[in-house]
Amino acid sequence: MSEDKDTFMGVPRDTIDWKPTIDYEKCDYCMECFDFCPHHVFEKRENEPIKLVVANPLNCVVFCRACSKTCGPDALTFPSKAEVSKKIKETREAMSSHE
Amino acid sequence: MSDKYAVLPCNGLDKCAGQMTKEIAMLLCEGTQNEMICPVFYRVADARYDKIAKENPLLVVDGCGTRCASKLAGEKGLKIFRKMTVTEEAQKRGVTLPTDTLRLSEKEIALCTAMADEFIKEETAVPEQMVQAVEFPAPAEYLIHKKDKFIFRVPTEGFYFSENDCWLQVVGNRARIGITDFMQQSLSDIMFFTPPPVGVELEQFDEAGNVESGKAVFELICPVSGKVVAVNTELLTAPERINENPYEQGWVAELELTNFDEEKDFLLNTADYMKILKKKVDEFHVNKQKG
Ligand code: SF4
Ligand code: SF4
Repeated sequence: MSEDKDTFMGVPRDTIDWKPTIDYEKCDYCMECFDFCPHHVFEKRENEPIKLVVANPLNCVVFCRACSKTCGPDALTFPSKAEVSKKIKETREAMSSHE
Repeated sequence: MSDKYAVLPCNGLDKCAGQMTKEIAMLLCEGTQNEMICPVFYRVADARYDKIAKENPLLVVDGCGTRCASKLAGEKGLKIFRKMTVTEEAQKRGVTLPTDTLRLSEKEIALCTAMADEFIKEETAVPEQMVQAVEFPAPAEYLIHKKDKFIFRVPTEGFYFSENDCWLQVVGNRARIGITDFMQQSLSDIMFFTPPPVGVELEQFDEAGNVESGKAVFELICPVSGKVVAVNTELLTAPERINENPYEQGWVAELELTNFDEEKDFLLNTADYMKILKKKVDEFHVNKQKG
């Protein structure tokens, strides 16, 4: 069970760079994204100047960008899908040629 | 083209984009039979607008990604005929909106006028390619997962799935794509559908349109590469087909496959998708209890 949690399309999740990045210049801490995402990617830091962080980037569902659509000030960005999918395919090829 | 629309702006007062929705709504209503819905009053008094909103095609004008007007439409169980978001349109047209004032200058008014025109433009003709060349058989059988009162179905034959909850049904070198029963239920009532453009060549994992419910916007992530040869235009007026029947009438687009043999490796069969689905259902359930 824990094994498939850590892979995406057959490659280890931690080799895939997919997560939201918060632009703190734009973020107004409305917490819509925090409330929306069911995967505990975001965490609140109530008593700190930066009140929201991407605490669990590996929980983020690869290619999902759903929370960014809840963000009024457009403060959430993601890596390029094309590059990430290329990388995943390369990782898979490398893995299969090692078998 | 209908001769009367209901117009619902978000009327967000504390942002320029929100202020602009009011301007757009006024432009849409002036000198026409269209009727404006005040989002503030609608929240407290259903009766005032319910008839207008239910009997006429609804135009929704959101200021920003918070989608207050769309969410309100969702809460009231309305179907959206057409919608636009000011910040998105501004971005598309290379207009930077001011952050230091709420007053609209000529530049913003010009954008409002352009958006209002766009709203009432003739509907784009149904693409020729709608003529179906291929028959896609209905799923013969489903694998079922039950959790509390929820039942999630996954077709057993002829379908592939992605970890992003999209399905693919392949017949020859054509395929249909859509969203799975699990995702359809997570979104709940779908009220708006944006199809991918017909004719466009999509790479695997590119965005292939999106669907929107009161809860969220879901981007369809295309499970394979291919050229979009048709879209399900019925969903433009009846997006609820996706809720009713996600694997048949709720199909989203038809593709001509370009690299399927290679890409197949990245897709899941019914059994593997079922495993992922169960995990997602459990996680979702746990979160709900916590929340
Ligand atoms: S992209 Fe999806 S999974 Fe990732 S943080 Fe946002 S909502 Fe959560
Ligand atoms: S939705 Fe956007 S503005 Fe709101 S807390 Fe998240 S990143 Fe910040």
